[in-house]
Amino acid sequence: MNMKYLKIVIVLTLFPLLVGTTMHKFYVSTTNVEYVKEKETIQIITKIFTDDIEQVLQERYDSSISMDSENESENVEILLKKYLFKKLKISVNSIPQEIKYIGKEYDMDITKVYFEIENISELISIEVENKVLIDMFSEQQNIIHLKTPESRRSLILDKNKPKGLLNFN
Amino acid sequence: MSHIEKLLLFPKINFHNQIIIMKLINYAALITLLLFTGLSYSQEEEEETRDPGHYNNNSFKQLYEEFSTPNQYRSASGAPGPQYYQQQADYIMDLVLDDKNKKLSGFETITYTNNSPDELEYLWVQLDQNMRSRDSKTPLIQSNGAFGADMAGNFVNQYMGEGFDGGFNIQEVSSVNGVNLEYTINRTMMRVEMPNNLKPGEKFVFSIRWWYNINDHVNGRGRSGYEQFEDGNRNYIIAQFFPRMAVYNDVEGWQNSQFWGRDEFALAFGNYEVNITVPADHILDGTGVLQNRKEIFTKDMMKRYNKAKKSYDEPVLIVTQEEAEAASASFATNTKTWKFKAENVRDYAFASSRRYIWDMMAVKTGETDVMAVSLYPKEGNPLWEDWSTKLVASTLISYSRMTFDYPYPKAISVHAKNQGMEYPMICWNYGRPDEEGNYSERTKYGMFGVIIHEVGHNYFPMIVNSDERQWTWMDEGINTFVQIVAQKDFGELYPDAIAPNKEYPIRRGTPKSIVNYMSGDQNSIAPIMTKGLNTFNFGSNGYSKPAAGLTILRETVMGRDLFDYAFKTYSNRWMFKHPSPEDFFRTMEDASATDLDWFWRGWFYTTNYVDIGVKEVKKFYVTSKMNTQIKNMMEARGMTESDLPPLVYLVEEDSEDFEESMRTATLDDVSTLQEYIMDNIDPADRANLKKPTFFYEVTFEKPGGIPMPIIAEYTYSDGATERVIYPAQIWKTSSESVGKVIASDKEITSIVVDPDEETADIDTSNNTWPKRKKLGEFDTFKEKVKD
Repeated sequence: MNMKYLKIVIVLTLFPLLVGTTMHKFYVSTTNVEYVKEKETIQIITKIFTDDIEQVLQERYDSSISMDSENESENVEILLKKYLFKKLKISVNSIPQEIKYIGKEYDMDITKVYFEIENISELISIEVENKVLIDMFSEQQNIIHLKTPESRRSLILDKNKPKGLLNFN
Repeated sequence: MSHIEKLLLFPKINFHNQIIIMKLINYAALITLLLFTGLSYSQEEEEETRDPGHYNNNSFKQLYEEFSTPNQYRSASGAPGPQYYQQQADYIMDLVLDDKNKKLSGFETITYTNNSPDELEYLWVQLDQNMRSRDSKTPLIQSNGAFGADMAGNFVNQYMGEGFDGGFNIQEVSSVNGVNLEYTINRTMMRVEMPNNLKPGEKFVFSIRWWYNINDHVNGRGRSGYEQFEDGNRNYIIAQFFPRMAVYNDVEGWQNSQFWGRDEFALAFGNYEVNITVPADHILDGTGVLQNRKEIFTKDMMKRYNKAKKSYDEPVLIVTQEEAEAASASFATNTKTWKFKAENVRDYAFASSRRYIWDMMAVKTGETDVMAVSLYPKEGNPLWEDWSTKLVASTLISYSRMTFDYPYPKAISVHAKNQGMEYPMICWNYGRPDEEGNYSERTKYGMFGVIIHEVGHNYFPMIVNSDERQWTWMDEGINTFVQIVAQKDFGELYPDAIAPNKEYPIRRGTPKSIVNYMSGDQNSIAPIMTKGLNTFNFGSNGYSKPAAGLTILRETVMGRDLFDYAFKTYSNRWMFKHPSPEDFFRTMEDASATDLDWFWRGWFYTTNYVDIGVKEVKKFYVTSKMNTQIKNMMEARGMTESDLPPLVYLVEEDSEDFEESMRTATLDDVSTLQEYIMDNIDPADRANLKKPTFFYEVTFEKPGGIPMPIIAEYTYSDGATERVIYPAQIWKTSSESVGKVIASDKEITSIVVDPDEETADIDTSNNTWPKRKKLGEFDTFKEKVKD
């Protein structure tokens, strides 16, 4: 068995599904998805606790990785992209979209990652699948806030429902 | 109507009676003119539709329906009433920690005093450990669906194995003379039958013998348990470990709502005598004062302890890292018993390990000395030896200033991986550097934040003892609010700790940081006044939103002086008592003469949000020439200009009455005004009159459901700015929009509502006039990475 895979298995096995009791640490990320009609783009900002995302990158790819410190590892951005592209999938009007990575920045204990989907002239429906950190924490919640010129909607995604569809017609 | 009111005031000055009467007739004509116009409009509307009647749904209506009626137990002022009572539960416990078998067993004797006016037929005891028992129903309420694939290990745990064998094993429940008592266990609650009903004022003494398997809290995600180290040692952080009396009070009767794992606790105050037997080489600390220190401590430890009692600046090590490392190498088979006494606490917890480094420092709160204490394995260093105890001390000082002097003799911060959890005098905190001792800013601030937060919980809910099972916000929200104050204080007290930052960075509980949550989909938001278990987003609902709300009250609505006095009053009134939400709401108003029912309704009882903006700005010029609007009104009523008092007319820029000459005209050119001034104002006073030349009608809109003061910043053509705060009551009758006439001798170039973003306004795109296209978060970043 591949060593990296083994590590993931160990980590997952160690977190039994039974109890989600830790009060003062929330396993949650928020993703703001905004449809900007005049630019025909969908702008996405994902906010993840840096210690959580660092932990998952360490477990999956490289245990020596370090984020948001004076000696941030060079491969952080590559691995972050690799991981997020695997976990975040968006279909617009039933068509899977190519998500463009814009960049990342740190804001205290949070990592903000910016993505964009271009050439969306009309928004009829959007389906968001966000499995970020669900492989790490069984109680992880990924909250999606969707904003269009007309409406604000939200999705709460988790292990049992990692995908949600919103219709706008 | 305000113009007319103003006009009516003038006749009071220096007038002949006859003239007054004449003028009054004129004013009456004016009023008739304006009133009739209003009437004719409403008549037209009525012909089309007739709205049904309605209840009083004014935003400023008092919360009579939402609040329970004040009574002898809880006064309308928010203070405990003349008949206020609370039950008392005193415990004597003998505990044995079996390190080898990871087992805790105990024999406890509870003396329960019925201070209520009610006769009790039975007692309810909480068995929180049963949440981990094999027949626990906690997993059954976690909704789940079939996932495409599952890790084999998870699959085994969930579907094939028996799982962890947790939960209490109750061996005996007996009365003081050894007679077994009947009891019934309903999951996490145990009903105990007494030989006779317990009458008001009576005591009942009974004992319980129990044991349970201690869980691995790191891998099982519990608030209590042990962490396993590679060298075979464990760090035990033990809490919710004994059968505890449920609360009986005037609000809930027995608070025996089951423990599902999330909502915390409701507990009665009492005195504790606790004897804890652990391996002889363990270092232990817990709630209360150690009674046999001389027996337990070595001579060196005693010397260091006495030194710590006089050290107010730097912690003194009682057990050094070297000593802890030496102790970790062998495993004693003999035991030691640590004896504690704690007075007036609502719970008990302790921590025990061979690996502990132990330091202490004295801190003064008021007149008394308190010991700030830290327990940590070497994994916590260098962060813990540098800051843990100083954080404890600084927190006690800040919270004491905001509430009352810390009444307990000590406060302990215990290093525990992934934990942040509070108990009386002791709490578990995370924050662990990597193996080389390096740590990131976020690990550091994570540790600072959690220690301040958990130590702060000594005040809320350990001393101001609210019902956590029902109301998460009363301890978490209020505590998160005070935590922000304490964090700022800590940054000022120890600038080195936060360098290169000049101020302690605050992320949670600020008004701006709650916007994302409050602007979310209404289907996934619950009001704050919701039982914690039933909320969608526990952190935002129970911690951040109430803290942001209190910050708005303190900084924007009430001001620090009024808020702080009222907040202190609440803390002191309910110190060592059980407050309800209304007790808090009522006290904050009672002690400040600030009617806040509108705020409690909007912020705590509903999921409404704040959104206020500038809708429209109209520019007017003043003239003595009658404008079309008034002319039409007069014609419709058959009046002439001589029926009216001298009037000053406002003409909107670009309206049909507007003439270019008005732009350059001054008030001196308005003849009706000049005449009035000449007739009524002393020549000496005329020079003091202001001479505004710019007149605006600003319309503010409020798409949001929560009223809030309008903080308007006006910028003038000369660059000067002026901030005007219109109290929230400006929305008292018109909840959608309100107008304000601004007279100025300078041109207004821009208006910004809530310029410092202090009201949690969820949509700032309407906050400026002229409309300014503000670059959003996304575009700002995109611009930045482009460069």
